[in-house]
Amino acid sequence: MKFWGVRLASILGAVAFCFLLEGVAQGQSSFVQRLFVLAGLYVTLAVSLNLINGITGQFSIGHAAFYQVGAYTAGFCASRFFAQLNLPPAAWLLLMMITSAITAGLAGLLVGLPSLRLKGDYLAIVTLGFGEIIRIFAQNQEALGGAYGLTVAPKIQYVWAAWLLAILCIAVCRNLLRTAHGLPFLAVREDEIASSAMGVNVTQTKVVAFVLGSMFAGAAGAILAHFESFVSPPMFTMDVSFTIVTMVVLGGTGSITGSVLAAILLFYLPEKMRDFTNIPLSGVAAAFVAISAAVFAIRWVMQNFHGTAKDRAIRYLGIVVGALVIWFISKALLGNVPSLKENIDGSKLRMVVFSVTLVVLMLLRPQGMLGHHEFSWDWVRSKFGKPTVKEATA
Amino acid sequence: MSLLQLDQATIKFGGLIAVNSVSFELKKGDLFGLIGPNGAGKTTCFNLITGVYKPTSGKITFDGKEIGGTPANKIANLGIARTFQNIRLFKSLSVLENVVVGGFLRHKTPLISALAYLPNVIKETESLKAEAMELLKIVNLDKVADVRSADLSYGMQRRLEIARAMATQPKLLLLDEPAAGMNPQEKEELNAMVKHIRDEVGLTVLLIEHDMRFVMSLCERIVVLDAGKEIAAGPPDAIRSDPKVIAAYLGEAV
Amino acid sequence: MTVLPDLLAGLEFSTLPQQLVNGILLGAIYALIALGYTMVYGVLKLINFAHGEVFMLGAYTALFTSWSFGFTQAGNKQDSSPGILILMLIVSMTVCGIVGVLIERFAYRPMRSQPRIASLITAIGISLLLQYGGQLFLPSSPPPSISDKVNPFKGNIEIPLKPADSALLAQAEQLKAKVTRTKAAYDEQLKSEKDSFNLSPVGKELRTASQDAERDYRNAIDKANKDALVITFPQGQVIMLVTTVVLMIILTWLVMKTTAGRAMRAASLDFDAASLMGINVNTVIAFTFFIGSALAGAGAMMNASFLGGTKIDTFFGMLPGVKAFVAAVLGGIGNIPGAVLGGILMGLAETMVIWAGYGNYKDAIAFIVLIVVLLVKPGGLLGSNKVEKV
Repeated sequence: MKFWGVRLASILGAVAFCFLLEGVAQGQSSFVQRLFVLAGLYVTLAVSLNLINGITGQFSIGHAAFYQVGAYTAGFCASRFFAQLNLPPAAWLLLMMITSAITAGLAGLLVGLPSLRLKGDYLAIVTLGFGEIIRIFAQNQEALGGAYGLTVAPKIQYVWAAWLLAILCIAVCRNLLRTAHGLPFLAVREDEIASSAMGVNVTQTKVVAFVLGSMFAGAAGAILAHFESFVSPPMFTMDVSFTIVTMVVLGGTGSITGSVLAAILLFYLPEKMRDFTNIPLSGVAAAFVAISAAVFAIRWVMQNFHGTAKDRAIRYLGIVVGALVIWFISKALLGNVPSLKENIDGSKLRMVVFSVTLVVLMLLRPQGMLGHHEFSWDWVRSKFGKPTVKEATA
Repeated sequence: MSLLQLDQATIKFGGLIAVNSVSFELKKGDLFGLIGPNGAGKTTCFNLITGVYKPTSGKITFDGKEIGGTPANKIANLGIARTFQNIRLFKSLSVLENVVVGGFLRHKTPLISALAYLPNVIKETESLKAEAMELLKIVNLDKVADVRSADLSYGMQRRLEIARAMATQPKLLLLDEPAAGMNPQEKEELNAMVKHIRDEVGLTVLLIEHDMRFVMSLCERIVVLDAGKEIAAGPPDAIRSDPKVIAAYLGEAV
Repeated sequence: MTVLPDLLAGLEFSTLPQQLVNGILLGAIYALIALGYTMVYGVLKLINFAHGEVFMLGAYTALFTSWSFGFTQAGNKQDSSPGILILMLIVSMTVCGIVGVLIERFAYRPMRSQPRIASLITAIGISLLLQYGGQLFLPSSPPPSISDKVNPFKGNIEIPLKPADSALLAQAEQLKAKVTRTKAAYDEQLKSEKDSFNLSPVGKELRTASQDAERDYRNAIDKANKDALVITFPQGQVIMLVTTVVLMIILTWLVMKTTAGRAMRAASLDFDAASLMGINVNTVIAFTFFIGSALAGAGAMMNASFLGGTKIDTFFGMLPGVKAFVAAVLGGIGNIPGAVLGGILMGLAETMVIWAGYGNYKDAIAFIVLIVVLLVKPGGLLGSNKVEKV
C-alpha cells in the first residue's frame, strides 16, 4: 500500500510542478513562454532519442523526422476534424498527442525494421536519409501545405502539456531501466551476439526502442504544431536532428538525467546569446584560437600528466587562464584584419556553439557530462552523509 | 537418451570448408569434450549449434527438434546456452545484471507493465535478481555482484560467463575454452564446478578446450577435429593413445 | 501502377540524349567527390562527414584565386587563359588537400582509439563548424559566384545526332531571301518616318510584310528542326570532363603503381597488419586524406568555374557531399572504380528524375538510392560483403 501511496504522491507532485510552471510562464512575455514550452519539448526529444542511442546503442541521427511526422499529423487532423469534433482544447491536444504518437510510431517502425541489420555509421546515414525523404515529400504535398507550410488551428499554448509529456517520457524510460525489462536493451547495446545467445530477440528489442522513441517525439510534435499554430518543412531540417543528437551526446548517452540537463542547457544558451548583439568577429575568431589551444593543452595533460589529482587540477586552471590570455591577445591582433572588424548578432552563433560543443566534447570527454550515471535519491543521501540504501541493508 | 545430434554437419565459407561432415551425438548427462588444433573448426561447430551460422548441409537435432539455421535467440529459448572463446560480457553492466540478462528469457510480465512500473514487474525483477544471486554463489562471485563486469579479473569474468549461461536454465551448456588464461588452482576449481553443474544441476555439458590435462580429467567422451574433419572419437584413454590425434596435435604430454 | 502510363506519356524523348550527357557531366563531379569518401573509408572505416565542406572550401578557394587575378564583380578584367584556370585548379587542389590533412590530424586521429560512433559525431561536428563558422567569416550573403570571364572557353560544341530535314531546311532558306528583302525595305522606309510608333500607312504595310516574312521563316526553320536531334554542351564542360578523366588516370597510376599507393591499399585491406609490416599508417592516412580532398577541390573548382553562375555559400557542399557519399556507397564503399561508377550513376539518376518531371524530388532520389542499396546490397555494386567472426 505504501507503494501506491508514494506513486500517487509523485504523480500529483509532477502534475503540480507542471501547473506551477504554467503559472510562472503566464506572467512572462510570450517570448519567455515559448522558451518554456520549447525547453520541455527538447527534453522529451533528447530523452526519447537517448532511449534509442544511449540505452539501446543504436545510432539514429534523424530524430527530427518523427517530430515532423507528429507535428504534421496534428496539423492535418486539426485542419480537417477539429471544427467537427468541437472538443475542449485540453482534450483535443491530448487526442492529438496520442494520434501523433501513433503515426510517428508507425514511421519509427518503417524506419527501424529494414535498417536494423545495419551497423553504426550506416544506420546513422540511413536514419538521416529517411528524415530527409520525409521532409522532402512533405514539402511537395499540397495537402500538407507544400513548401509554405500548414496553418494549425486552434492555437493551444499550454506550457504544462509540454512538461507533462517530458516528465512522462522521463518516467517511462526510468521505469524501463529500473526493471529487468530494461536489461535486454542495455545488453543489445553492449554485445548483440552475446545478447542473442542469451535469448534476447535483438531485432525486436531495437524496433521497440525505435518505436517508443519515435512515439514520444511524435507527441512532442503535436504540441509544437498547436503551440506555434503552424508547421512547415524548414522547422524540421537536419540541423534540428543534429541539435538533439548534440544534447544526447553532451548529457552522456545512456544517462536520462544527462539528457535532461543537456537539453535545457543547450536550449537555453543560444537563446541567451540572442541578447548579445554586436559581437565583434575578431572576438569570435580569437575564441576559436583560444579554445583550440586550450583543447590541445588539456588533452596533453590528460594523456601525459601522471601527478596527483590536485596537481592536475592546478594545471587545468592554468590552461584556462592561459586560454583567456590568448583570447585577449588574439582579439587585439585580429582586430586589425579588415574583414574581421564587423559585428555580428548572437543569434548567428547558435549552431557554431553546438558544433564546437560536439567537437570539444568528443576530444575531451566523449562520455558526455554524466556518462552512464543517473540521478538517484541514494546519491543525494550520500552527499548529506546519510547512509545509502545499500549501506543500510548490508 | 539423445540430446544433441550432429549428422554430417557442414559449413562452407566461400571455398573454405570450415566444418566438414561432422557427426557426433550427446546423451543427456554427458560431459563431452571437443578438441583439436587451432583452426580445426571447434568454435565454428559451436556457432552452428547455437545458430550463429546456418549449416550449408547436414542436420543438427536437439531434443528431437531440428535446429539447423534457427536464429540464435530461439535456440537459447529451446535450451542451449554457451560461453564464448573471447569473453563476451556486457561490459558496462554489473556482475549481477549480466546474469539477470541470462535469466530474463523466462520472464512473464509484458513490457507495457514495466513501462508503467507495476507491482508484478517489480516482484518479477526481484525474483530474477534473487535467482541470479544463487547462481553467483555457485560460481563464487556473489561478493562482487555490484562490481562492473569489465573490472573483474580474467578468471572471474570466465566464471561470470558460465553463471550467465546457466541463468537461462539450459538443458545443454556449451563452454568455449572455459579454462583459458586460468592458473592451475582456478582450473581445479573450474573442474569441480563443471562436475558439480552436471551432477547437481543436471546439465549436459559440451566443452572446447586446449588444456589436455583438464579435458582428460573432466570429460567422459571426446571428439577430435582437425581441419574441419572428425578424426577420432571415444573415451579419454582411447583418444590419448590414438596415433591420428597425436599426429594432428603434438600437444602437451598427458 | 497506374502512375506509369501517365509518367510515360509526359516524357519528352527528344530531350533524352541531351539529359543523358548532362547526367554524365554532373556525375563526373560527384565521382571526384565520391573518390575522397571511398578512399578514406577504405583505410579508416570512417565516413568523413566533413568532406562536403572541403568541397565547399575548394569553391571558395577558386573564387578567391579568381579575385586575385582581378576577376571581381566590379573588375574590368577581360581576358582569361587556360593558364589561369590551371593555376586555380592547382591552388584549389592544394588548399583542399591541406585542409583535409589538418582535419584528420586534429579531429579524427584522436578518435581512432574510440568506438567508431565517436568519429562519426566528431565528423558531424566539424562539418557543422565549417558550415556555420564559415558563414561568419566567408562572404555568403549574397552568395558570390565566380565571374564568367574566368572561363576562356566560350562557345558550344554541337553534335548532331539526327540532322534536320534537308528538304524542309532548303525551303526555309528560300524564305530567308524574302526576309532580308522585306526588312531592308522597312528599314529604308523608317529613315523617312518621323515617329516609329506612329507610322504612315506605307510604313505600317512594310513593317507587317517584314514581320510576316520573319515569322514564316522562323516557322519553317522550326518545322525543319522539329525532328532533329542536336546535343549541345558548352566547351567549358567538355574541358571539365577531360580534366576529370585525366585526374582519375593519375589517381589510378598513383594507387596501382607507386609504393605509396600500395601502402594505401594494404592499409585498407588490413590496417593492423599493414602497420605491423612497417608501414607508417599515419603517413598513409594523411596521404589518403590529401588525395581525396584534393580531388574534391578539383571538382569544386570546376563546378564553380564552368557551370556559370554557381552561387557559393558555406552550405554549398552539403548536398553534393551527401550525393557523392551515396555514390560511393552505391559503387561499393572502399572501392575506387566503384566510386567513379557510382558517381556517374548518381549524376544520371538525378538528371533522369528532372527529365521525368519530378525536379522537386531530385534531392530525395539520393536518399532513396542510398536506402535501397544499403538494404538490398550493402556492399554496393562492386563491393564485397564481409562476415563478422564470432
